[in-house]
Amino acid sequence: MIVITNNPKVRAYFNTCDVQFVDGNYEAVLIKTRDLVHQNYKLLTHPLSGSVKPNETPYKSIALEVSNALDVAGLLLIENAIEVYGKLQKDARTPNWTERILLDFMVIDFDLFKNAVVKAI
Amino acid sequence: MRLEIGNIMIKDIQFASKTEVKASTLYIDKDALISAVSGDDRLKSIDVELVRPGESVRITPVKDVVEPRVKVSGGGGIFPGFLSKVDTVGEGRTHVLKGAAVVTTGKIVGFQEGIVDMTGPGADYTPFSKTLNVVVIAEPKEGIKQHEHEEAVRMVGFKAAKYLGEAGRDVEPDSVDVYETKPIFESAQTYPNLPKVAYVYMLQTQGLLHDTYVYGVDAKKIIPTLLYPTEVMDGAVVSGNCVSACDKNPTYVHLNNPVIHDLYKLHGVEYNFVGVIITNENVYLADKERSSNWTAKLAEYLGLDGVIISEEGFGNPDTDLIMNCKKITAKGIKTVILTDEYAGRDGASQSLADSDPSGDACVTGGNANMTIVLPKLDRLIGHVEVVDVIAGGFDGSLRADGSIEVEIQAITGATSEVGFNKMTAKTY
Repeated sequence: MIVITNNPKVRAYFNTCDVQFVDGNYEAVLIKTRDLVHQNYKLLTHPLSGSVKPNETPYKSIALEVSNALDVAGLLLIENAIEVYGKLQKDARTPNWTERILLDFMVIDFDLFKNAVVKAI
Repeated sequence: MRLEIGNIMIKDIQFASKTEVKASTLYIDKDALISAVSGDDRLKSIDVELVRPGESVRITPVKDVVEPRVKVSGGGGIFPGFLSKVDTVGEGRTHVLKGAAVVTTGKIVGFQEGIVDMTGPGADYTPFSKTLNVVVIAEPKEGIKQHEHEEAVRMVGFKAAKYLGEAGRDVEPDSVDVYETKPIFESAQTYPNLPKVAYVYMLQTQGLLHDTYVYGVDAKKIIPTLLYPTEVMDGAVVSGNCVSACDKNPTYVHLNNPVIHDLYKLHGVEYNFVGVIITNENVYLADKERSSNWTAKLAEYLGLDGVIISEEGFGNPDTDLIMNCKKITAKGIKTVILTDEYAGRDGASQSLADSDPSGDACVTGGNANMTIVLPKLDRLIGHVEVVDVIAGGFDGSLRADGSIEVEIQAITGATSEVGFNKMTAKTY
């Protein structure tokens, strides 16, 4: 399993996995994931993992695995997620959160991701 | 399975020296209520306030809303797996304090939402401005983790509803509604010429502040299964989620799910409502595939002619909704899907993150991105500072004059995806 994340809590917890840490925003994680799907990686988790919106939380974590064919369904999911990101950012951009709130967003992203992939690690 | 729901109409709530229902008023011994819900050492304090429709009060952040109910006869107890043993519920008689609600508030995360205004324009958007609310304010001890805090507040809500529900045990209800679902073969024999219909009830199950429980089980760990509809009315399904408050089903909504309630209205007349298939909304894509395979398999196995499928939440559940719809339709079964929309503030963008031509019968609870200005109200219960940082809020939401501008996704129950509100969108 390969983990694409910009969440330091996810990077720290999944330190035995192949974590490709993205030093960027939510969109950068989506774009990195899309690029990997185009290189025949298969999407394992849904890119819109919770009800916290892409213009609220700055953090995103996504799991993929090596494959030998294009994951067409996964490509549609990640392209749709990028479209949702753009739609919501157009109305209201992600605010500059305080440290305390950033930590809460990290915890939620980490918890949803851990619950999703616990069987896969 | 046959359940009588005895509705005890509550028209006022008052603090008093004894908890009881008299002449349609729920009198509450505040100290006894606090004592009944106390005991969790993760909480620093618990307080209770009473709020009535029309009062100039804003409650936020609302975590859950729970209806006071009590099992009078039949197996099991209310909220099985949490406050009662795991005996099967849904039979016998249950009394409801109709018109009263327990509302829990607690700031579990800094960006939490859930606004209930009891008056003004915001009141039109939440069903819980019309209930007499017993607001339980639970404050955590310093250093409590978010998971523990969530669980503690969740349990306080259930305990308060149970404690108040007990006041209705020996009260003669104002009305009694009877709901009955027979075992599948018996039901098919009784109504051989009616189409068989079921409800596919999607439960949000992704993690912290995104969870739902069935008989005490974390529903992300289930595979889809069958419930008698009346089991839901006795608290078999309870809420552990509140993020994006507009389209989350509080426990109150599970207990009063309008899809179940309304399907019973013409059960045995126009169709045979055979039961509820519960399923989950997990983040792992293989879980989504498995669960939607199972809903389709169960729908086929039951010989259904039609299903109603309701979604809960934003984003990845759109994929579950469409998977369920596609796979059940592919079995030759007619489907109607219930959802809400994130179509942008102007309503012009794509509403869902997934779609398919099989979803051609779709009912929506409205556009959650729509904005509203909520005026300053006289009294605030909870933490108003969270309004600046909630879903649907944004920098500057909380204005200097005390009014707030938010998307309606911040309002509890505004775009209910089971239709527990008044909004929809129509195509002409």
